[in-house]
Formats: sequence, C-alpha cells, structure tokens
Amino acid sequence: MLEIKNLHASIEDKDILKGINLSVKPGEVHAIMGPNGSGKSTLSSVIAGREDYEVTKGEIVLNGEDLEDLAPDERAHKGIFMSFQYPVEIPGVTVTNFIKTAINETRKANGLEELPAKDMLKKIRATAELLEIDRKFLSRSLNEGFSGGEKKRNEIFQMAMLEPKLAILDETDSGLDIDALKVVANGVNKLKSEDNAVVLITHYQRLLEYIVPDYVHVLHDGKIVKSGGAELALELEEKGYDWVK
Amino acid sequence: MDLKEKLEASFLAFENKVSTDIDSAVHDIRSAAFTYFEQNGFPTRRDEEWKYTSLKPLLKHDYNVFPEAETALEYAAVKKYFLHEIESYKIVFIDGVYSSFLSETTHDGYDVCLLSAALKRPKYKMVIDHYFNTIASKTDSVTSLNTAFSKEGAYIHIPKNTVLPKPVQILHFSTGNEANLLLQPRNLIVVGENSHVQIIERHQSLSKNVVLTNSVTEIFTNKRAIVDYYKIQNDNRAASLIDNTYIKQQQNSIASVNTFSVGGNITRNNLEFHQEGEHCTSNLNGITIIGEKQHVDNHTLVHHKFPNCESNELYKGMYADRSTGVFNGKVIVDKEAQKINAFQQNNNILMDDGATINSKPQLEIFADDVKCSHGCTIGQLDEDALFYMRSRGIPKKEAKGLLLYAFANDALEKIKIPELKARITKLIASKLGVDLGFDL
Amino acid sequence: MSKYTEDDLKKELETKEYEYGFYTEIEADKFPVGLNEDIVRAISEKKNEPEWMTEWRLDAFKIWQEMKEPDWANVTYQKPDFQNISYYSAPKKKPELESLDQVDPELLKTFEKLGISIEEQKRLSGVAVDIVMDSVSVATTFKETLAEKGIIFCPISEAIQEHPELVKKYIGSVVPKTDNFYAALNSAVFSDGSFCYIPKGVKCPMELSTYFRINEGGTGQFERTLVIADESSYVSYLEGCTAPQRDENQLHAAVVELIALDDAEIKYSTVQNWFPGDKEGKGGVFNFVTKRGLCETNAKISWTQVETGSAITWKYPSCILKGNNSIGEFYSIAVTNNFQQADTGTKMIHLGKNTKSTIISKGISAGKSQNSYRGLVQISPRAKHARNFSQCDSLLMGNECGAHTFPYIEAKNKSAQIEHEATTSKIGEDQLFYCNQRGIDTDKAIALIVNGFSKEVLNKLPMEFAVEAQKLLEISLEGSVG
Repeated sequence: MLEIKNLHASIEDKDILKGINLSVKPGEVHAIMGPNGSGKSTLSSVIAGREDYEVTKGEIVLNGEDLEDLAPDERAHKGIFMSFQYPVEIPGVTVTNFIKTAINETRKANGLEELPAKDMLKKIRATAELLEIDRKFLSRSLNEGFSGGEKKRNEIFQMAMLEPKLAILDETDSGLDIDALKVVANGVNKLKSEDNAVVLITHYQRLLEYIVPDYVHVLHDGKIVKSGGAELALELEEKGYDWVK
Repeated sequence: MDLKEKLEASFLAFENKVSTDIDSAVHDIRSAAFTYFEQNGFPTRRDEEWKYTSLKPLLKHDYNVFPEAETALEYAAVKKYFLHEIESYKIVFIDGVYSSFLSETTHDGYDVCLLSAALKRPKYKMVIDHYFNTIASKTDSVTSLNTAFSKEGAYIHIPKNTVLPKPVQILHFSTGNEANLLLQPRNLIVVGENSHVQIIERHQSLSKNVVLTNSVTEIFTNKRAIVDYYKIQNDNRAASLIDNTYIKQQQNSIASVNTFSVGGNITRNNLEFHQEGEHCTSNLNGITIIGEKQHVDNHTLVHHKFPNCESNELYKGMYADRSTGVFNGKVIVDKEAQKINAFQQNNNILMDDGATINSKPQLEIFADDVKCSHGCTIGQLDEDALFYMRSRGIPKKEAKGLLLYAFANDALEKIKIPELKARITKLIASKLGVDLGFDL
Repeated sequence: MSKYTEDDLKKELETKEYEYGFYTEIEADKFPVGLNEDIVRAISEKKNEPEWMTEWRLDAFKIWQEMKEPDWANVTYQKPDFQNISYYSAPKKKPELESLDQVDPELLKTFEKLGISIEEQKRLSGVAVDIVMDSVSVATTFKETLAEKGIIFCPISEAIQEHPELVKKYIGSVVPKTDNFYAALNSAVFSDGSFCYIPKGVKCPMELSTYFRINEGGTGQFERTLVIADESSYVSYLEGCTAPQRDENQLHAAVVELIALDDAEIKYSTVQNWFPGDKEGKGGVFNFVTKRGLCETNAKISWTQVETGSAITWKYPSCILKGNNSIGEFYSIAVTNNFQQADTGTKMIHLGKNTKSTIISKGISAGKSQNSYRGLVQISPRAKHARNFSQCDSLLMGNECGAHTFPYIEAKNKSAQIEHEATTSKIGEDQLFYCNQRGIDTDKAIALIVNGFSKEVLNKLPMEFAVEAQKLLEISLEGSVG
C-alpha cells in the first residue's frame, strides 16, 4: 500500500529525514518510535503533504502512485489520514459541519455523489456511539475550547468517518489519561481491517499495549535504525533509546 | 485682537529677539512652522482630531505670549511639587524662564540642561540638526505654533551605554505675575543605544490666574534604549495644558509614557509613538480622575511600521460632577509590519449624571499576520461589591473610593520608581477620598 | 399560510410583470442629464404626485443644493458629476433573450453556484419565461392574505396616491431631508421604492420581500423605502438579492426609514450584491445609503446585513431608541475583495430609559480592498440604565488589504453600561493545512472558516436567506488566498 523509498526531507534548509525506507501492506499496523527530534512528526507531515517541508530526495508511493505532486487535500482524497498532534481550532464551524464538508469533498473528488443528509446523520450517530462520543459534542465549534482528550477523540472520530486507507496517528497518545487512551485505542482497533493500514507514531510504548503493532521501527536522526516485531517496543521501553543509537 | 492675531503680531518681535542666537536652520524651521500655523489657525471641533475637545474657552483670554520677567521662588515654597524623597536632576522653569537656583543640571558624561543653550552653542549643533523638529508634527497647528516659538525647555542627550543614576525632573512653575500667561516649552530628549533614563514632568501654576501651556516634547530612543516618562498633571483649575509628545523608536527600544491626569481645567494629551525598527515596545498608561467641569482628552497614536513589535495601551478614567473624559486611541499597522501585537484597553467609570465620556478606539490594520485588539468599557462601580463592603462596616464613601482605587490599580502598577509610585498612589487616594493605610 | 417556494416567487413576479405591463408605454421616457427645479417638478409630475409631495421634493432639492458631498468616510473614489446624471428614466424592459444560451456564461456559473433555479435564472438574466399555467392565483393569495390582515404593501408611488395621510406623516420623519447630502438628493429625486404598513397588533404572516416589488426595473438608483409597524405589530422584511446585480447606474443613493411604534418589532434583513467592479477595480456601483429606524416604547428594530457587492459602500443602518425599554440591533457581515471599499457600521442613539443595543460586525477583507467599521453609540443624559454591547471583528486575507475600525462611544449618563471589543485575525496556514488534510480544498476551507467567523450574524438571517448568503460569501472570496 505505502512504499517509502530513500526519503530525504528538510525544512528551511535543515535536513530532518535522511533516507527513510518503509513498506506498509494492507491490514498491517506499524509503529514508529523514537526520541524527540528524531524526525517522527516530520515523517507524518511529509506523507500528508505539508508544504513547509521540502522533499529533497526519494519518493512516497501510495498504491502505485507517486504522491510528490499532490496537494494535501488530493492526498486525503486518495485515502491518507493524519491525526494531528495539535489539532487546529476553527471557531464557528461545528464538528458536524466540518466532517460533512470533508466527506462530501472527498466523495466528489472520487466521482461520487454527495452523501444524502439522512445517511450522513445516521453515519455520524453510529460513529459517535462507537467511540462513546456525546451528541452535544458534535455541535460544538471544531476543537475550540476542547480538552486535550476531546481533541484526540475528535481526531479518531474524523478518522472513523472518513474511513481512510492509511491512517497515520501522530502522538495520538500524548496528553491522554488512561481512560481516554483506552477509548482511542478501542476506536482504532474497531476500525482496523484487512483493507486498511495504520501507522502509529509515538514516543512511548504505552499505546502499544492497547494497539498491538505488527512491526516496530525505531527512528533516530532521520533514519530507521532498527525494525522488529511488537517485542521491540518492550525492549526499547526497558533499555531506552540510547540502546539503539 | 484675538489670540491668533496677537501671536502673528508677536512672532516678528520674537524672531528679532532670538535671531542673534540661532543659526539659520532653526530659523527656517520656526518660520515654516509659523506659516503653517498662520494658514491653519487653532483647530476647531470641525476638525476630526478635535471633535470632542474645544479650545474656544481657552482662546478668549488676552495672554501674555512672550514672558521674559525673571521671578525667583523659594525652594521651601515649592518643595512639595518636587519628588524630593530621592536624588534627581532638575530642570526648572519659572514663568517659562530657566531657574538656575532651583535646577540641578549636568554635562558630566551626558547633557541634562537647557534647550536655549543647546540651540545657541556650536557643540550641540550636530544633535540639533539631526533631531530637532524631526518627529514633531509639521501638519498639526498647535505643534507648529510651539515650534514657531520654540526657544526654551529641557534638553537631555544621553550617549550610548549609559544608565542615568537618578531620574530627571522637569518642572514648569507659573507664578501669576501675569494675569493670563501662555507658555510654550519645548523639550528635546535623545537617548543613545543601550541607555536608560527616567523622566518626571510636571506643570504647576501657583496662583489662580489663567495659564495655558502648549508644550512639545520630542523623544528619540535609539537601539535597545529604555525611556520611562511620567507626566503628573495635577494643576489648579485655572491652568490648561496642551501636551504634545512625539516619540521615535529604533529597534529593540522600549518607550513608556505614564500620564496621571487629576487636575487642571482643560488638558489635552497628544501622544504619538512611531516605531522605526523591529522589536520595539511602546507602553502607554494613563489614569484620569476628574470632577467639577474639568476636561481631559487623551489622544494617542501608535504607528507600527516594522515587524515583530508590540504596543500596550491602558487608560483608566473616573469622571465625577460635570467633567468630560475623551479617549482617542489610534493604532496603525503598516503593510510591512507583520507579527505585531497591539493591545489597547480603555475603561471608564462615570460617577455622576452630568459627566461625559467620549471614547474612540480606532484600529487601522494593513497587515494580516497581526494580533490587534481593543476594548472599551463604560460602567459603574459594582453595586454588589459596594454592598458587600458596607455590610462589613466600611462607609459608602470609603467603599467607593476603595473600589475606584482597585479599578485604577493595574495602571498604577506600571510605575517603576517606588517613591513616585507611593506619591501617585497617595495622590490618587486623596482624589478618591480614600485613606489608604496599606498598599493594595 | 405555507412557506413560499422559489417557484411561487417566480410566478408572483411573472404575474406582476404581466399585470403592470403598461411600462412599455413610457419606455422611451428619459430626462436630459442634470438636476434643477424643473427636473424635480417633472419627476413629481410624471408620477402624478399631489402638490404636497412636489413641494416636499423641491424643498429637499433646495437643501441639497446648499450641501457638500461628505468626504469623511474612509473611501476614495472619483466623485460623481451630479449634473451629468439623468434623474428620471422610466423602467426599461430588459432586452428579452430567447434562451439561457445567450446569457453571459460567467453569470450563469455564479447562478449555479448560488443554487438559483433555472426559472429564476431566466428571470434574473432577462430571458423570456413562458407562462404555462395560470399563476394569477398565487399573487392573489399573497395579496389577499395581506389585505385580510390590513397590511399595506405596495410601491411608495402607489402609497403616495392611496395612503397620503400615512406617507405624509412618516416620510422624512426618521431621515429628514436635511440629514445628509445623499438623503437630501434622494428626497428630491427618489424614483420609487416600497411602502409597508402593519396595523396595530398584526403579526405579518410572511417575510415581506422586495423580491415582490412591483416595478423592479428603474427603482434601483434612488430608492425610497418606508416601513411602519403600528403598535404591537411585527414584520420581517427582506431586501436585496444574492444574485449579482449589474446596473448601468453607477450612483445609488437609497433611503430607508423604519418606524416601530409602541411594542412593535421590525426585522430588516439585507443582502447586497451590486456589481463590485472588475478585478482591476474598474466600474462598480457606488452605494450611498441612509437607513434609520425609530423605536418607540418597548419597540425593537433589528438590522441584519450581508454586504458583498458595490465598489463603494457607505451605509450605516441606525436605530434611534426613543422610547423606554426599546431595543436596537445591528448584525453585519461586510466582505470586500479586489478593489472594493466599504465604510459601514451603525449608530445607536439611546434616548429612552432602559434602552439596549447590540452591535455585531464582521468585516472580511481580501485582495486590495479596504473595509472599515464606523459606529456610534450615544447615551443621552436621560437614558438611564442604557446598555450597549459591541463586537467588531476583522478578518484579513493577504497583505494588500486593510481593516479599520472607527468606533465612537459617547456616554452622558452614569448608569450607562457599554462594552466594546474589537479583534483582528487572519486565516492561519495551520487551519488551511488541517482542512486540506481532511480532503477539503483551499477555497472550500476558506469558505468554511469564513462562515464560522460570520456565524453569529448568519444565524440572524431568515433561513432561506442564510443559505444563499453563505454561498455568496464563498463566491465573493474565491481564489483570494493563493
């Protein structure tokens, strides 16, 4: 599904990613771990197409298509979802209105009709229920005045609504208490299928207790320095990041 | 003969008198300014910038426009007007004439002296040429009038990397020797790179005779310089003041002007900050407490011309009896001036039905990546708080005073000279009829 | 009565056009350019006005001659030559086109985006519409419903003939002839406009709209509207149209007067989308409007406006809160793009006790435009316990435009409570990226953010207007962030 080959990226002439190789197949869960400043968040931003970053070498291929020339919204239309570490506030735009717009824009881009309001409502309600989200929450302004946990839950809600092929969860666990973490993990697990893939980006092993990855990669100084199974995460937790340097 | 005609007639005499001690550049500046004044005259309320303040009642008097007589004052008689608790430099004028007896000036490493001297002596010529009348408005007729008659005032020039060990006090006394007196002091303050100065300014009339002061101060803060300026306006009821202050800031400089208006008849403060470099900070604070038929107009402009700067403006006003408060706060952010933080707040309390507030907070924004906000409130004291205090045995008058004092307090907090802070706190407490046995 | 649909509307209009087809008769009429007493007299005569109306106009003309065009607004433009304008031209029939294929495709695209029905599109662009069914009934129902309740809703020219006592009593009572340059001009030469009277205790059962205005054609330039809500009555009035309106008359100077008697309420909503000029800033309508309402005891007037059109907008819908406990509201969205200039806001004059006013103004500037809020809140000495809350928010898009606020706050009563807040913000790069990541393209994202920014005002519009207004905002700002 996703093939990253020798990816180099920089911001303001500072090299951050220095040759990433990663292959993700449908149905797989990958975890990318690493200390602060190793390039984890850069990697997710580059995949999502953030324009502040410049890809200097290498390529990102999604289902056989090179993403290089695609704008962030076009990538989203192809099925890439990135949950933000710091979700953005948009005053006056409700959660419902926002997700409705996002779904219909994506459908339009893929040659589909807009989802009828009735079906949209049904889907929103079902998803909210699945993720234990209060109805009132849906009519609040997007992320405005949300607590950290609410923001993260809202990201998972949007993911569930958009049904992406590839979900990248950037530090989704940070700032969550254990109950919120369980709800988020639960949501991700329910949405996982044979057709989609999940990339978890995290500093700590904590989240991986609830979402068990098929592969764990350790990122250090812009490169993947070690890859392994779920057990690698435990080993890292025990020995610390210095061990892989 | 009205005041304008009188001024026109006096200008020639003034020029003749001073022509021997000026060089031609200053002469040209005065002539050009006079021409502007002649053509435009005093502003009226039809002028948008003077919509809420009329000078008419001030212009009807037959002023002596060019006082020369030297009068002596005993220090003991005027000591209370000085911030005498601390050491300071003093530049003192009596009826517009310099008083060497009351003053304490210096040329030791920096100049704290007289503008008349600086205009005369060749060694100051470079500074005068470079700074004098370069930031004061040339299209404002009251400023132009001052420029035309500019001759005397404070001259402070601090070279770079100098922190003045003590504040400078500028005092203008008027004795009442003239029945009606027009004073036009002109101050020039230049602060070099990395230097720091604190200045306290006061106008004080010692009689019940009519005084009108039209003052212009130009302040230049070079890179990383810091200027703290305090204006104490507690004159008696026959004295009116038009105070024009122009500040030009270079990068990383911090300029603060604190204005305490609690006295006088009509007071108009024109305060302009022009930021000419990045990372400048401009602070404007004011407290106005007036009553009877007093009138105070704070007219401010902050012009952000470069990126990454900030301005903080806080004016608090309390108006009793038939007094009038005016606030006009203009903030301009130029197209190039991105990443500006400009905050402006004007809070007012009306204490009596005859009192009036006219507030015009105004933003003109041409850059998109800025944070600008202004807020204006007009209200009363919190009745619940008042009742609460009275139920605890605090009489109404004192309770009111305490609440008002608390209202003004955040503007008081900006005073950096402890002795001055104590002085002004006391002054404000007395205006509010509060006896403060403690610090709030 | 059930809600009007757009089709009903169309039929209504067709009927009216048909009914008043006599316009063809005077089509060739056009006065020579210039303005003098004879022209004013001639306008009055053309309309067969009574003597008192003629005199009123002449008086206004005299006043206007003494006045100077104001220049305090924050706008710059080439002042019109008032002697080079023709002050009377009978409503012209638009050239009839045979099908939509003959209409400017740009215009059609906009219609489509606004979601205007094909039939309505035809009407707006002047395509002949076949009247296939008998639609007289709709119009009749409409008129009958109003008549039953005693509501008068007709062109002001008709009201001058048929209800002279009402017109005489109220015209110029809120916006006097002497009020300002444009109001004086309007008073002298007003072409036509709407008149509305709601009798005591009557709640008008439908939104009254200038859509229904009978002689749509030539009234645009110097429109005069008079709405009177008698004691305890209610009316909601819609003015304007989201569809882009082109007009060869560059100068528009309308006057709107609202009178809300004791316990009455008037809700007046406007969507203004006059031609703003092209991308280079050429052409476009100058819109100099005087709108003012008078509230008697316990009355309420609420102005809501969405302003996206015109090259120059000069407009301050105001409330005189004369009666005790009266309420004034002003909700405004003003969008400027390209070279547009808007100087708009409100005046809330508190005269009565316990009067309340609310001002919510949202200014959005893009392109090279200038957008100014100008407002006055005045509390008179008698207005005990008057309250005002104002909020003026500006959104800037790009670095070539300007946002300005000129609030004037004057309080002469110690019990006044006034709060004024203003903020300036921009659309953040991070907001756009977030939307993009969720599959929303940049234009759509801007529309979404702008709608969120304007929500408090959009919510005040009648439902059917709100949807169109939202789309209008979107179109007005298309492509403004590169």
